[in-house]
Amino acid sequence: MRKPTVVLGLGNPLMADEGIGIDLVERLAQEAGRYPTVEFIDAGTGGMSVLHRIEGRSKAILIDCAYMGEAPGTIRRFTPDEVRSTKVLAHQSLHEADLLRVLTLAEQLGQSPGQVVIFGIQPQVVEVRQGLSGVLFRRVEHYLAEIRSELEKSAG
Amino acid sequence: MAKTVNVNVHHVTRVEGHGNIVVNATDGKVEKVEWQVPEAPRFFEAMVRGRSYEDIQTIVSRICGICSITHSLASTKAVENAMGIKVSEQADKVRILMHYSEQLQSHVLHVGYLVAPDLFGLPSVVPLAAKAPDAVMAVIRLHRLANEWSDLIAGRTTHPVTLTPGGLTKFPTEKELRELLERLKNCVADLKAVAEAVLSAASNIPDFTRETEYVSLKQDNPPTYTFYHGDITSTDYDGAVSIHDWQSVANEYMNDQSTAKWTKWHRESYTVGALARFNNNAPLLSPMAKDVAKMFGLAQGCCNPFMNSVAQIVEAVHVVETSIALIDELLTTGLKPETVKVSPKAGKASGCVEAPRGILFHQYEFDRKGNCVGADICIPTNQNHAAIQQDFEKFVPEILDEGEDAVRLKLEMLVRSYDPCISCSTHMLNVQFVR
Repeated sequence: MRKPTVVLGLGNPLMADEGIGIDLVERLAQEAGRYPTVEFIDAGTGGMSVLHRIEGRSKAILIDCAYMGEAPGTIRRFTPDEVRSTKVLAHQSLHEADLLRVLTLAEQLGQSPGQVVIFGIQPQVVEVRQGLSGVLFRRVEHYLAEIRSELEKSAG
Repeated sequence: MAKTVNVNVHHVTRVEGHGNIVVNATDGKVEKVEWQVPEAPRFFEAMVRGRSYEDIQTIVSRICGICSITHSLASTKAVENAMGIKVSEQADKVRILMHYSEQLQSHVLHVGYLVAPDLFGLPSVVPLAAKAPDAVMAVIRLHRLANEWSDLIAGRTTHPVTLTPGGLTKFPTEKELRELLERLKNCVADLKAVAEAVLSAASNIPDFTRETEYVSLKQDNPPTYTFYHGDITSTDYDGAVSIHDWQSVANEYMNDQSTAKWTKWHRESYTVGALARFNNNAPLLSPMAKDVAKMFGLAQGCCNPFMNSVAQIVEAVHVVETSIALIDELLTTGLKPETVKVSPKAGKASGCVEAPRGILFHQYEFDRKGNCVGADICIPTNQNHAAIQQDFEKFVPEILDEGEDAVRLKLEMLVRSYDPCISCSTHMLNVQFVR
């Protein structure tokens, strides 16, 4: 039996701030005992596999690095219908992914959870190296507090 | 009618590589046709230097998020060949089963999410889900099965954790294998549904051929439609070359229009992938896979690169049918626990397997402590670059009269048909708030 809520951390920890989603979901997974109805998953760079992770849930919370035109380190909570993807895909290979399109597909196929919430975090640095930039690293506790408060809402 | 066509599909980005398509033609005369690959170097061959033989597969599995099992297997086999490490028959079979899961996963994803929208004249899988929901649902179920199959045998969906030089750290239980067997038997209906959906739109597969050389593995003992064991062969070559001599096949060279290396063997280019394997090994396909090939009119000697996607459907059926037989064998003999003990030693050797997108070569050299002192990796996508360029050169004059949009679409479709592995490293959201 799947847990009704899933938290997916998305990103690549080998690309600095692109790994923020993974960093946060790993930290939250250490508190899993506090959230018996929540499954925490490191979903890597996601792609189409996100479909299988969210199927059959009542709520999905996704944490990802996002270019939102905000100051680096800003976290924003939004739902898929509040945003438009500005990502241009070449559709040349399986190696591209756009989370918003995957969520649209889930919706179309009737496999989307009732509630989908995305936490986007504006990066400071995206390059080939491990570890977050100082700007994001210093705000990790703030990000966790935001996501925990979302989880309290789910439980309530 | 003489046409002036300028197509420039340009995707310059240093973090997510893409190929660029450049076509310039004036008054029906083609002036420039180029397939450019401006990928950033990724330094995996340098990254593994100084690392222990035990760490190699963990690092190189990160080369690709789609075919990580394949890279892990090729590197593990190279380590074993370099150090004379033997693998039990049981571990060998389970590894092949692991490898099949990735073939299914990758082929289903490629055909379902990238090729099918083209054939139905749609921009992506999202509108396709509205037009052909049953077929898309079948693709999603197959994809999920393949993911969970990888999870079971490899320890997780992507980047395997059960592979180790000398064998596997964990074997599936007989109960788990029996459950997988049931699921594989039950997925045949979905495979047929996907094949029939693609067949219904197969008239949109462009009618284009270019005779070329097709390179893949072949295995004679026992005769097998192989992805894992064997030697290198080609449609231009009657014999077989040892995988340890792969450099004499690939003949890698640098090219001004690409940061990726290109390859050639008997001609100016060769092709690898599902169609290459099919052209070299078709008589060894499983019965149901042969039926699917017949359904599409796919026969040995096919030189239409667009048919690579059809060959992938054929192979998806083949790996499921073959895995059912393989699991039966494993259950009949029973799985016995194994302990792997390896003593590192100096050596240099190659490992080779077929990735979903074509033949893959890894070569490593180790010192006596088992630390890597050199690596050489040759991926299938690089082996297809020259073929894509030569296809462009023949195809563009044939379709020039169709206008810019048609030329752009057909060239994009051609690139997609090769199922290229163009590095994926970032998948962040790019969003604009609409409220």
